[in-house]
Amino acid sequence: MLLEAEAVGRSFQGFVALESASLTVAPGEIVGLIGPNGAGKSTFFNCVAGDIEPSRGRIRFDGTDVTRMPAEAHARIGIGRTFQVPAAFEDMTLVENVMVGGFLRHRQRGRARDRAMEMLRLTGLEAQAGHLARSLGTPGRKRLEIARVLATEPRLLLLDEALAGLTPTEIQQAIGLVRTIHGMGVTLVIVEHIMEVIMTLAQRVLVFNHGRAIAQGTPEAVIRDPQVVEAYLGHRRRRRDARP
Amino acid sequence: MKPGLGTAALWAALLIFPLAVAGLPSAPFLQDVGSTVVLTAISACAWNIIGGYAGQVSVGHSIFFGTGAYMSLAVFGLWQLPPVAGVPLGVAAAVLLALLIGAPTFRLQGHYFSMATIAVAELIRLTVGNWDLFGAAIGIQGPATPRSGWDLIYRSAVPYYYIDLGVLALVIATTAWMAGGRFGFYLRAIRSDERAARSLGVPVRRVKLLALMLSAAFTAVAGSLYALKVGFVNPESGLGILVSVQMIITAALGGAGTLYGPVLGSIILVPLQSASNSWLGGGGSGLTYILYGGIIMLLARFEPGGLLQFWRRGVPWLRRRLRGGRAADAA
Repeated sequence: MLLEAEAVGRSFQGFVALESASLTVAPGEIVGLIGPNGAGKSTFFNCVAGDIEPSRGRIRFDGTDVTRMPAEAHARIGIGRTFQVPAAFEDMTLVENVMVGGFLRHRQRGRARDRAMEMLRLTGLEAQAGHLARSLGTPGRKRLEIARVLATEPRLLLLDEALAGLTPTEIQQAIGLVRTIHGMGVTLVIVEHIMEVIMTLAQRVLVFNHGRAIAQGTPEAVIRDPQVVEAYLGHRRRRRDARP
Repeated sequence: MKPGLGTAALWAALLIFPLAVAGLPSAPFLQDVGSTVVLTAISACAWNIIGGYAGQVSVGHSIFFGTGAYMSLAVFGLWQLPPVAGVPLGVAAAVLLALLIGAPTFRLQGHYFSMATIAVAELIRLTVGNWDLFGAAIGIQGPATPRSGWDLIYRSAVPYYYIDLGVLALVIATTAWMAGGRFGFYLRAIRSDERAARSLGVPVRRVKLLALMLSAAFTAVAGSLYALKVGFVNPESGLGILVSVQMIITAALGGAGTLYGPVLGSIILVPLQSASNSWLGGGGSGLTYILYGGIIMLLARFEPGGLLQFWRRGVPWLRRRLRGGRAADAA
């Protein structure tokens, strides 16, 4: 297994954001994390990325215990992540942004630059390589984040709503990009609100509700799971049915 | 950054300045101001490494400046050594202090580092001001007359000017080399977004600590050069908060986080100070604060990126205007 998260939980000063969630990911998989807002999927995601330390449980990556490792060590070991709100280095050009990632595996500037340009080509940003990141709109920023993290050569890539806020055409392009990345041999864990994206991309889905992982399975099976329907999709219908 | 025509012109001007003014009746005064410009540029460039490139605003760089200045004069006071022998000692002490300040404060984000530097600087100023070994509140002196060439005591400011210019070239070269490589990219990434930098494998704390140590080392050299020239340092001139503020203002005026911004800032600010001091007499030291306050307000309101940024934005704008005008004429 590439990733093994065992009963991971996190509390913030008494508030239980994530009670317990377990997930194992095999190399080459695409796993989706879904659930309503505040269900704990972001907390789980950030625990796996090393951005916050779990209060409980254990996370192993390729056999190494990464539970208490800082975020930068996660990047070094091969876990990459994007942010829900794109965090571009505003005063740096696109190629410089991506070079920061490239420097992780390539000490030399020229090599880091080559790697960065390659990733800008892959994400379709090559033409704007010399522009400042602040000149980009949301879709561009999302792609820049992906280019930047790919430059670190991750084996596991965590995408946090990388497709949110895009137009339908852009979503189709982004789905194509995710497929390309997957084709490069990168294992993916994606948090996504857009069901269409999850249904097309994910081979397996983990559903969160009230700080727990409540169901797991193929997207088709999961959306038919009554518990999931109730938690995630079914509030309105149930309320209407309940009325006399 | 590629060295361009402007850079070459700047260095040429800096190289010939003392000789170019040599014939003027006010030459000694101008040469003295010139050497202060270069010295101020050194400390501002040194501050710029941590405060500009890494975006960690230190308000306590007087610690390192004072360490350099005091060490240079202390080796004379204690062992009758030439002040220049105190340079490596000052650098070593400053790097150690940087490590002691940075290691705990860089665990925290945001303004904690700035506040910690102010606190430590005041603590050190008060301690030295009550420590007889360092002359307490009165301060310490270097040799009054040169005992050998090693004492580096000259009546003219010109030798100091060229010593300082050599050190400035070294600081600029180091900064340029640093900015172009991985370390410089990491510093800029940290300044922009620490969390994102960390997610890309940047060891944020270590990088910040190294930048602070490098910055402290060069600042200590600047302090030593100050002591060499002036031959005297007291808690206010070596460790006062104005020493730190001057570095910040100089770098910010020209452009923090740019290679030549601090040099530009110094070329503008130091003559301005000298002029205000000579016009308003000896009682003008309080006016320096007012000048600094005014500059901070203008920068914050109109151009937080500094004058180099203003220049970079202003020139294309002007070109567009001129071209637009010509196109309109043709039509």
